[in-house]
Formats: sequence, C-alpha cells, structure tokens
Amino acid sequence: MARRTNGSQASLRRANQASLLESIHRFGAMTQVELAEITGLSTTTVSTQVHQLVQEGKLETRNTVRNGRRATLVALARKQGLGVGLSITRRDLIVVVADYAKDVIARRRLPLPAKHKADTTLERAVRLVNEMLENAGADAGEVVGVGVAVGAPVDYRAQTVAVPGILPGWNGVDIRGPLATAFHVPVVVDNDANAAAVCEGRVGAVAGRQNFVYIGTNDGVGAGIMVNGDILHGVTGLAGEIGHIQVDPLGSICSCGNRGCLNTIVDETRLVSLLSVTHGNMTLEDLVRLANDGDPGCRRVIADTAVRIGTVAGDLCISVDPEMVVVGGNLAMSGDTFIEPFSETLQRLLFPNALTPIRVCAAAHPDYGAAPGAAIMAIEVVEKRSLLQG
Amino acid sequence: MNDMTPLLEIKDVSKRFEYVEALKSVNLTIGRREVVALVGDNGAGKSTLVKIIAGLCQPTSGGLVVRGEPVRIGDVRDANALGIVSVFQGNELCENLNVAANLFLGRELRTGCGIRDENAMVVRARAVLDTLSSSIQVGRPVASLSVGQRRIIAIAKTLLSEPDLVVLDEPTDSLSVMQTAEVLEYTRRLRAEGRSVIMVCHDLPDVFAVADRIAVLRQGRIIAVHETCETSYEQILAEMAGIVDEDADGRGDESDGVPAGGAVGYRIRVGTSRRLIERRGEQSGLPV
Repeated sequence: MARRTNGSQASLRRANQASLLESIHRFGAMTQVELAEITGLSTTTVSTQVHQLVQEGKLETRNTVRNGRRATLVALARKQGLGVGLSITRRDLIVVVADYAKDVIARRRLPLPAKHKADTTLERAVRLVNEMLENAGADAGEVVGVGVAVGAPVDYRAQTVAVPGILPGWNGVDIRGPLATAFHVPVVVDNDANAAAVCEGRVGAVAGRQNFVYIGTNDGVGAGIMVNGDILHGVTGLAGEIGHIQVDPLGSICSCGNRGCLNTIVDETRLVSLLSVTHGNMTLEDLVRLANDGDPGCRRVIADTAVRIGTVAGDLCISVDPEMVVVGGNLAMSGDTFIEPFSETLQRLLFPNALTPIRVCAAAHPDYGAAPGAAIMAIEVVEKRSLLQG
Repeated sequence: MNDMTPLLEIKDVSKRFEYVEALKSVNLTIGRREVVALVGDNGAGKSTLVKIIAGLCQPTSGGLVVRGEPVRIGDVRDANALGIVSVFQGNELCENLNVAANLFLGRELRTGCGIRDENAMVVRARAVLDTLSSSIQVGRPVASLSVGQRRIIAIAKTLLSEPDLVVLDEPTDSLSVMQTAEVLEYTRRLRAEGRSVIMVCHDLPDVFAVADRIAVLRQGRIIAVHETCETSYEQILAEMAGIVDEDADGRGDESDGVPAGGAVGYRIRVGTSRRLIERRGEQSGLPV
C-alpha cells in the first residue's frame, strides 16, 4: 500500500483528476476552459481527464454557451438526486448540498444574529439553497429531501424544538412547513448532535461502524447515540441530551429550567468569562484558536471542560456500551488538548477489565458535520420510503 | 508594543462642509480584534466618518490616533501605510482589466529585474480568491462580472496588503444571500486573524451577526455605542430615529430635541419606529 508512486504517469493522472474534482466540488459547475484556468492544467489534459471521469461516472457534461461560444459545462455526476442539509445554531446557518453518493457538492455558512427568528432564517435558507443549486449547475427539482439539524433538543414526533428557551425565536415553530412548501420534498428535523453522528457514521471518522456515541461540544454539549446503525431517538427524540444532565445540584439555572445542568458549566459565556480578567473579551473560536497557539490559560480551560464532559460521557457509555466515542464540535478542534483529558477521565470511569475497551477519536468534520449529516438523513429517509413503497 | 493600546482612536473629530456640520466632535475607539458597526440614518455622518479614516477627506478639527500615536491621514496611501484599507460602495475597479490585474492595480508584483510578474500575480490572486471561497476566475475581465462578484473582488483587494483595520462601506448592499454569506464569513475571519473591522451597514441582521459593538450616529454625533449582545433591534432603531430613552442610556444626547427627519414621528413609540424609518426613504435593516 505504501508503494512510492511519485513521478509515475498513473500518479500524475490521479493527482490531476483529484485536482479537477476538488475544483468542481469547491466552485461548482464550470466549463473546461475555466477548469483549465483554475487548476493550472492544459486544456488538452482537462479535456482528456474530464472524458475519463465522465466514463467513470464521476462527472457529467452538458453543452452551454460562454461569451457567445459553445462550451462544455462540467458538473459532478448526480445519480438520482440531491439532498439538502441545513444546520441551524444560535449564531450560524450552514447549508450543504450532497449527492446520492453522500459527497458534499456545495457548502456555505451564513453568520446569523443572536436571537434570530425562525421565519427570516428559513426564508434566507431557502434563497441560499436555490442560489447554491444554481451555482452548482443543478435544478431545484433534483432535490429529493431536506434535512434540518437544529442546535436544540428536538421533539422527533412533532419535528419542532422540544424545550423552549434554548434556541430563542424557534419555540414551537413549524420548521418543516416552509421548506416543504419551497421544495415539495420530505423534510426531516433532528437535533444537531444526532445529525453529526450520522455524518461521522456514514462518511466521517467512524464510517461503517454501527455502535458508537458522538459527543458534540459547541455552545453546550449534546450526544448522538448510534445503535445498530440507527440513531437512538427515544420516545420523544430527547435521547442523548447529556448537556441537561445535572452535575451540580446547587449550580446555576440552565436554559431548560433545571438547575446545575452540564450546559451551565460548558456554555460559551461561562468558558470565556473564566478568562475575562486575563484575556479580555473572547469568543469560543478565539479560545480554541489561542489554545492551539499554545496559550496556557486557554488550554487549561479546555482541559478542565474536557474532564467535566468526560465524566458525564462515562455515565452515558456505561448505559449504552458503544464501540467508540467520537468527539466533535468547537472544543474538539483543539485536538489533544481536549481529547487526552477527556479520554483519560472516560477510561477511569469505565469498567477496568472491559471485554472491548472503548476507543475515543476526533470527528472528521468537527465544525460543520451536522449539515452533511442532515442531508444524509434526508436522503436515507427518502430511500427508505421508496423501498417500502416497492 | 503594548497590546492593550487601542488600534484607532477618533478624538473630537468634526467636519464642516460650508454650512453643514457633518460631524460634531465625534469620539470613538476601535480596539484590536473587534468588529465595530456604524449605523445611522441617511446623512447621519457615517460615510464622512469612514472617509476621514480612509484618508479621503480631512477633519475640520480633531484628529486620529493610531496605535497610541497621533497621525495625519492625508490620502489613501497614508492610510494603507498605517495598515488601514477601505472598500467603498463605488467598487473602484477598472472595467477593461481582468480580475488579477485589478487586484494588483497600483502595486503590481515585479520580478527581480523590475518586469511585471504576471504569473506571480495570477497565482497570488487565485490564492486570495480561494480564501474567500469565491468561484470567480482570475482571468475574466471585470466588465463581465456581477455586482456581487465585483464587491468580492474589491474585498479581496484588502486581503493582499495584510491590513490591521479594514473599513467596509455597505459591504452587503445589493448582494445575493450567498454572496452576503461570503462577506459576513470573511468579516468574521478577519476578526479571527486578529484584524479589526469598521463596517457601515444598513442591514441590522447582518450587523448583529458579525459586529462586536454597534455605534449609532445621528446628526453627526455618536449618540450611543453598544455591545451587540446587550442591545436589540428596537433599541438601535429607536436611537437611529432619535427616540432615545434618556434613562436607559446616560450617553444619550437629546439636546437637539428634533429627530433627523424633522418633527415627524417625534412622539412615535418605539414599536412603530420601523414605519418612521421607512418613511424617510431609506431601506433599513428592520427588526425581523
């Protein structure tokens, strides 16, 4: 496997093909001339490689007109349709368009104001999706399903935010309606940790594994529990909301209304306030970036948080007995600063002589996994329905 | 250098255009690593203020202090030398040149023997547009680009000089949602890289999405500066319209007594300020 192939014709061809595919992934459909310009390859090479990739079923070509001349528009091959995934958190909207091969063909992040309202955000999301489809050379009619990952506990039956107050402006809002009206396709709404777990389990760090737990550490903590390849929702859809497990009976009141939840200790405001005397105003991203730059104070805050989350994750692991624990979210982007103390705490709490020790690994898409996960969920729901219908 | 020194201090800046006093002793401090939004009604003095910072016009009195040292910004080159770059609404681009040439206009890369290095410029231009996740091809003439794409090019120009302070005048005006997303992401990224941004913006949702602080200008005065997390659309709109609750904000300056648009709506309650702003013919970011 580790055979050196540097300099061979085959490896050059592979590198050129990878570069072509990556450019179309990133910039959407474009003509062969534009591809040549962006990749720096000659037009002849582009033409040959595109031809080969079309034969392999990875690309497809259409005739188009550029500057009054006929041209060949090259796009990623889309078998059977596209899934759209939205991830909505307190400060961001991420939109992803994925094809049936679960490859992301377009991704955009739109920063949102705090306390954004459901109606405007969904309306902007619909416009953003349409623009992204157009940019990728696709048609809205190709969308087969829309998945929405919400950064709050979701009532899986009603498909709305289950606990009021956690995502202000979204309480009891019909999320499915506006999207179903806009695209005329099935819409699935789920919690962001569940969606991220699906992403990691299908195309991420634990691709192909059936039993694992995903821990998402953004502004607050959530978990997605994968059992035999399916997300464990529970009766209401609130399974895995470990951020609302009590860790301090005398602690602060949480946004859910209870006292001393894990989320009161690991939320963004609380973490950056620990550094306000020495570091001034910061955001969670600043905290992680400074920790990665080696700032001892920030590393300490992240390591302490990892221990607190690890303690609760230990309880969860004893309850569900997973094969692996995948850690994603902002805090996980600090790498070993988070993973090591987390893993150490977790192992300390688990059975010392377990038959199979639980391994901990970092997520492949720690910052945006929920959106592709939602798209994959939507595609899977549609696939399942078509199977059932015959 | 002491890291706590503010990046830019605007001290008692006034600007008079003949009989019109556009700015009346404005004081504002821009720290390091922060995004400050300037909001205000038409004619409030936002553009004049950013033009003074960008070096496009001179204050009648008062001055600017950059990194603790008083400076005189005579023109755009002075501003650039101080690490201040600006993107204005006009998008000063040359229609007949291609994207790469526009990006490097006036600061062309040269080879060792002083010849224009086209290849290096194309490569660097492609890298810069890449960081903006933009799909614009560097070889295309600017004439063939859309308004939004031109705005991205103008913004990409700021990335070439590694500035400390970026001044954006209406960065999301007339952009599609996808391009707005790119610009707002870029603003956040600038901040993450340790740079500061002053943005003049009408669209309040965009302001609230990226700004750390919001300064409200009215009739040439800064009447309030808020931390974004501690304010609301209603409060900002009320202050833009001149309906300031004196008790809520000690800095409120209501000595004039009359809102910018005359007496219309002076007694209007905060909840109806949306109509008031619309009536003045300016599209505002409405509380939605």
